[in-house]
Amino acid sequence: MSYQRTQQFSSRRQQGWNRNQNTTRFVSAIKLGPVAHTVIVALMITVLGLIYLTQATRATSYDYQAKEIDSQIAELTTKKGDLEVENARLTALEAVQNSSVAREMTQPASTEYAR
Amino acid sequence: MKLEIQKGSRSKILAIIVVGLMAVFVVRLFYLQIIKHDEYVALANSEQVKRLTIPAKRGLIYAMDGTRPVELVLNETVYTLFADPKIIKDKSKITDTIHRIAGGNVRPNIDVLLDKKETRYQILATKLSRAQAELIKKEKLAGIGFQEVSQRVYPEGGLAAQTLGFVNAEGIGQYGVESKLDARLKGEDGMLQSVTDVSNVPLTIGDRNVHDPAKNGDNVVLTIDRNIQAYTEKALATGLQQTGAQKGSVIVMNPENGRVMAMANLPTYKPAEFNKVQDADAFNNAVITSPYEPGSDIKTLTVAMGLDKGVIEPNSTFVNTDSIKVEDRTIGNATKGQTGTITMQTALNYSLNTGMVTIAQRLGDGKSINANARNTMYEYFHDRFGFGMKTGIELAGEQPGTIIAPTRQEGNAVRYSNMAFGQGMDLTMAQVSAAFCSIINGGTYFKPTVLAGTMSVDRKTFKEDTVQPVRSAVISPSSSAKARAMVYEARTKFYAGKDKPGYEIGGKTGTSQTIVNGKYVDNQTDGTYLGYGGDDRPRYVIMVQVSGKNMNLEGGKHALPIFTDISNWMIDYLKLQPKG
Repeated sequence: MSYQRTQQFSSRRQQGWNRNQNTTRFVSAIKLGPVAHTVIVALMITVLGLIYLTQATRATSYDYQAKEIDSQIAELTTKKGDLEVENARLTALEAVQNSSVAREMTQPASTEYAR
Repeated sequence: MKLEIQKGSRSKILAIIVVGLMAVFVVRLFYLQIIKHDEYVALANSEQVKRLTIPAKRGLIYAMDGTRPVELVLNETVYTLFADPKIIKDKSKITDTIHRIAGGNVRPNIDVLLDKKETRYQILATKLSRAQAELIKKEKLAGIGFQEVSQRVYPEGGLAAQTLGFVNAEGIGQYGVESKLDARLKGEDGMLQSVTDVSNVPLTIGDRNVHDPAKNGDNVVLTIDRNIQAYTEKALATGLQQTGAQKGSVIVMNPENGRVMAMANLPTYKPAEFNKVQDADAFNNAVITSPYEPGSDIKTLTVAMGLDKGVIEPNSTFVNTDSIKVEDRTIGNATKGQTGTITMQTALNYSLNTGMVTIAQRLGDGKSINANARNTMYEYFHDRFGFGMKTGIELAGEQPGTIIAPTRQEGNAVRYSNMAFGQGMDLTMAQVSAAFCSIINGGTYFKPTVLAGTMSVDRKTFKEDTVQPVRSAVISPSSSAKARAMVYEARTKFYAGKDKPGYEIGGKTGTSQTIVNGKYVDNQTDGTYLGYGGDDRPRYVIMVQVSGKNMNLEGGKHALPIFTDISNWMIDYLKLQPKG
């Protein structure tokens, strides 16, 4: 018995892809009908909606935090303004003239000028 | 498995009902969301989207304290306490608490106000401080609320009241810089458009939110020096008390740049209590709003004009007979006895009208105040010294005064002879002072100004405005030097007794006749004094005016002491060194 050599050699493994491709097929035993599809789509929409709502609520919670901080800033600004007004009142000419330091001051007897 | 719905089965009926309901929903949603879309969007926006105004803060006003700006007008947040009588139950607790904490800010009849159950808003107290408001809030009184209000506060009380003006209940500036610079001071309100929750808290959701921040008003710095202003007001009050005069005004200027260092008027008021003022005349800044016949102060300008035109020198002579004829009128001197051949310096020293009319005549043909003389005088008074025109000072209510042009029938020789010694024209003190500055500073006219510059938003950097002369060479430098020397001599001759030695202080008295019901009256004259002081050069110009109903007030007796008082104090304040 003799064997004739072919021009090209292909191993079985190389040939197997093409040769056995339709030999088996997976078929699921579970079949989804139109109701199941509808439910799944509804669930997906619900989940996405919940995610959106979570994010929107989180953004809104930041708004309340921002509002709180704004209120604090406004209050501190008001306090700062009050202190500035008080400072201006305390350093006003009348307040200075009536201070104990001013009352202790005397008129200079004479003035010398550096030339 | 194949699902089948049999004809007439309950499942089929249910399916038809469900489909029918779905169809109803679809149609209804189509109607609401498509056809009524705009209407419901607008309705939702009106409920959810709020447009909130962000109020701009009114700019502060500063004065100078030497070279340092200090606050003269600030803003303060105060609180108005209001109640809803309909929901108030414990009235006695509310009244006790409010009286205990708010004290004098409480309205007198809050018991009656709280009994007005048919109303929903009653103001119980105003102008509460933040501390008072916080204390009342801690009591957690039902039916009580607070409203924030911004108001002007004046740490220096009534200082420079007429220069500042005030802000009325509507937030509009009245009088002074508050009115003149209202647009700059008030700024521009901002706007916040946003979706809000039920508590009006702005939310970031939504795609039409707008945040346009408010632009606060400029913080302006005045040239007014609070120390000079305070002393000027004190000196004026003392002077009026001593003379019995009812009204008085003073302006203190820097002749080197036209900056007003002080501007005082009496009677005055406190801007924080503007609503208590009985006579609105107290709001007026007479220095700029009340033109008057300036009288003999103008002789300094007439002399300067004659020097500049070369028709006189200080030692030029003329024959004084204590009267001089101009057309059909005879003009006399108030001070008589200096007859004979006298110098122009003597004429100025004794404030002789005849000398000034002689200068006017010499501007013409030497014998009459002809058209050439009148044109020359008008050119100096109107075009160079700015009489009859507003100076442009940054204060509300400035008046231009009146000066009659020679082209008009009333602008005849008689009028111009009167104008030579300060009658026949109405000028403000600001106009006269600014003109006087120009004849003693070398001949440069500066606009009188109360604006020194602006303070930055963070209130740390003072940006000073540059000063530009309005007109240069109003008179020549040599004429200015001669005029200054003559004014110095006019004071030294009679009035320098109380001056600090070693300083150059010059000035001129003025006593102005007044017009009542269109006629000059003999029983009422205004006293003025216009002068300068300094060391090697003029450092300040002071003009004083005192007046009173049915009072004969004189410049030398009643206005001059106020000038001298302020002048001597200015020398110390400016730390000027004596000559020699």
